[in-house]
Amino acid sequence: MNKNVTIRIWVFSILIMLFGLVGLYSATFNNTRVPQKIFYDQMMFTLIAVLIMWALSNIDYRKFFDFAYVVYGANVLMLFLVLLTGRNALGATRWFEIAGFSFQPSEFMKLSLILVLGRYYSSRSSNYMFGFYGRIHYIFQFIVVPFLLTVVPMLLIFKQPDLGTAILLFGIFLAIMFVNGIPYRFMFSFLGICVLAMPVMWMLMKDYQKSRLLVFLNPNIDPLGSGYTIIQSKIAVGSGQLFGKGWFAGTQNQLNFLPERHTDFIFSVIGEEWGFLGGIFLITCFFVLVHAGLSIADKVTDKFGVNVTVGIAAILALQVVINIGMVMGMFPIVGITLPLVSYGRTSFLTTAIMLGFLLNLSRKRSFQ
Amino acid sequence: MRLKIIRVIIIALFVGVTLHLFYAQVIRGKYYHRLSAYNRIRVVPLDGWRGSIKDRNGVILADNKLSYDLSVTPQDINDVEPLFDFLENVLDIPSRELKLKYQQNREAPFAPVVLAEGISREKAIVIEENEYKFPALWVQKTFRRYYPLGSNSAHVLGYVDRVNEETIDNFQGYGYSPRSLVGYLGIEEYYDRELRGEEGGLQIEVNNRGKQVRLLSIKDPSKGKDIELTIDSDIQNISRETLGGRQGAIVMLDIDSGEILSMASSPDYDPNIFVDPALKKGKVDILRDVRGPMVNRSVRGAYAPGSVFKVPMAFAGLDLKKIATYTTFNCPGFYQVGETQFGCSHVHGVQDLFNAIAHSCNVYFFNLGKLLGSEAIAYYGRMFGIGRLTGVDLPYERPGYISDKKGHVTAGKNWFLGDTLNMSIGQGDTLATPLQIARMLATVERDGVEVQPHIIKSINGVVVTKYNFTRTLKLNKSIFDDIKKGLRMTVSEPTGTGYDLYMPDLYVAGKTGTAQTVRGREPHAWFAGYALGKERKVAFCIFLEFGGGSENACIIGRQLLTRMREQGKI
Repeated sequence: MNKNVTIRIWVFSILIMLFGLVGLYSATFNNTRVPQKIFYDQMMFTLIAVLIMWALSNIDYRKFFDFAYVVYGANVLMLFLVLLTGRNALGATRWFEIAGFSFQPSEFMKLSLILVLGRYYSSRSSNYMFGFYGRIHYIFQFIVVPFLLTVVPMLLIFKQPDLGTAILLFGIFLAIMFVNGIPYRFMFSFLGICVLAMPVMWMLMKDYQKSRLLVFLNPNIDPLGSGYTIIQSKIAVGSGQLFGKGWFAGTQNQLNFLPERHTDFIFSVIGEEWGFLGGIFLITCFFVLVHAGLSIADKVTDKFGVNVTVGIAAILALQVVINIGMVMGMFPIVGITLPLVSYGRTSFLTTAIMLGFLLNLSRKRSFQ
Repeated sequence: MRLKIIRVIIIALFVGVTLHLFYAQVIRGKYYHRLSAYNRIRVVPLDGWRGSIKDRNGVILADNKLSYDLSVTPQDINDVEPLFDFLENVLDIPSRELKLKYQQNREAPFAPVVLAEGISREKAIVIEENEYKFPALWVQKTFRRYYPLGSNSAHVLGYVDRVNEETIDNFQGYGYSPRSLVGYLGIEEYYDRELRGEEGGLQIEVNNRGKQVRLLSIKDPSKGKDIELTIDSDIQNISRETLGGRQGAIVMLDIDSGEILSMASSPDYDPNIFVDPALKKGKVDILRDVRGPMVNRSVRGAYAPGSVFKVPMAFAGLDLKKIATYTTFNCPGFYQVGETQFGCSHVHGVQDLFNAIAHSCNVYFFNLGKLLGSEAIAYYGRMFGIGRLTGVDLPYERPGYISDKKGHVTAGKNWFLGDTLNMSIGQGDTLATPLQIARMLATVERDGVEVQPHIIKSINGVVVTKYNFTRTLKLNKSIFDDIKKGLRMTVSEPTGTGYDLYMPDLYVAGKTGTAQTVRGREPHAWFAGYALGKERKVAFCIFLEFGGGSENACIIGRQLLTRMREQGKI
């Protein structure tokens, strides 16, 4: 069984990466806008990712328990720095140059947050305390403090501005909070307060984010501007029909109608050229991966391990669902990558590290 | 337990996405597939190659040339500054101006913005060579009409422009699309259907920039027909230069065929301003000019003919036998009606018909007019073409106007003797176009054979014979001889009003006219006549709007004929 899960994770993550390369090759084929260099770049990173996964599967994940706060703190600091240096440059900068390599701290923050919340919840007793003060104490310990841990990087990322990643961080928080057995009445009241706070969020949003939300509700209000991407992407996916138009035969892709098709919108290329069958193949691969993560969580006995596994499974699932959903026009365009498929170094490596954790966790169970 | 719930939620999310994917790709797939085809397949209309226009000697008056337009596709701009710096260097336009134009005309990320039209071939090549560096650049090739001789025959030719919103309705059903080039004014308008090539089209596959990726199918546009005109661009040029920018017109036609050799109108304009973007700015000035440079005064301007009208008067007198050539009237310098004096230019004394024509004696014609009555005068005026369209093949011709007592009374107005007298010397309500006047003189010279003035010689090399018909006026040959004698004396007699045009080796005859205009402005100056040269016989009309006395027209006429003779044109 253990072996089985390990093999499943290896097989399906490599399948996804290969399928992603197939899609990316077509997206960059014979094209000036998206250079072929991107494809070779991604190929190299696929190899690096496999190495990282292999290395991490041999390192005890519990070592990261000790580093959780350090990693988290460093990451938040980097988010600050990006915001400061980003001010100097033009517009929104999410990147960071470290020794010639660009690095996106917001992508890595997903992992840092999983680690820090995993450690935080695992080192708190979940004993329910009676009485008013007990309740307040409980709420403070199990909701307010972890929420603050989440909301600090969230706001920093939101300011970049990157709505999608900010939403993902919130998703991680909800998932880990949920799995730690917080009573439903607290969770729902908390969510209610969040809903009431939405108008405030709206006020904090940049104009282009507002317009994206509005365009999501009705893409035709701005078919040439913000709506262009979503309309073209919907056409691309839909026109793939059952069997797809074939590799290199996607007209939306090959004729450049799809913007950002090597990063966030890579699924529109896959959907157009490989059709419903290709799409469902990819979704199934992801589901197997997520499911493997959840079945590990089932078996893992230490709370840190459970929290981290659930966090990883949840973030993978959310990214896949939101990304594919936004490409099809189900959700607004929020700028979330498709893990292991979209071009983007930090995103790719972060996912590889997460899968490395899963691999390690699936091994460690034998010691329990 | 909580893990199970998370699993259920995740399964639900995945199932939801899969169902939506199924809906989009399988249920709505056909619809999106069609949309993707619309996206990539464009039909690009190809303008038909408009026929050229040449003059009678094969000189090109209107043709097409290749033109290059520069566009920039917003979403393909990598770096704004280097791109605009590059364009500044190549186009010699400040990059600030280009940026402003870019910002003002930007519509959508994928829609190319035209930054410069009609750039030179050299510049176009430089830009195309640098397209690999600046993928946003795009040089589009189109064919543009151009008029090599500029203002030379502006009014005859007209110009071309895109169909405008007001006129598109008139063209529907004739194969015009909203972007078609259509002729306006002149030959370009009158023979638009011949000149126009049939639009073809390309069915192409385009990318997001609308740039062609591959050709799917093609329908070749057809070339329009070439037109040869009766105009002689040299005579046209002489006419234009002798007019020298003065308001007025010169028309000259071949007496034997009715072919219009020259039709100049002034002030004029360069028709290239309507087709060449580099000259576009001149358009506003031309359209705003109160003197009306766009008006072809030869056919669209109707003016009081003044003493030129004495020609049909004389015919009326002789034909109705109210006078004979030897009938004389005494001219004391004025003609008294009640308390009003109708003036004459000089005290001519006793005048017979020949002298009265040569000296343009008003008193003689006042007397004659009183004998004839307004109805008879109008009848003979119309006989010679005044108030009647000549039927020339140019758009917007005006018929002029002639009225008589009957007409006035019907219209509820009074008619006095004074009106008849005014009418006798071509004043009052009578209006004629320079072309009508020239044609009238041609008819006189040919003893009543009225030719059809026209401007087309051949279409695609096939000679147009449609206008080679004549109409004969039922008047005695002897009357023509008499009147022609008077017209000749106008020029040949030293006392004749047209003596300026006397040339020993060229037979010129004609009639002068000085038509009173509104109070405070100079009169119109006329000279209408015919010249019988070795090369050809021509009838012509020189008209100067507010040009002062007829002698000004005579001087221009002399220059015109002299220069024509120098160049062997007559």
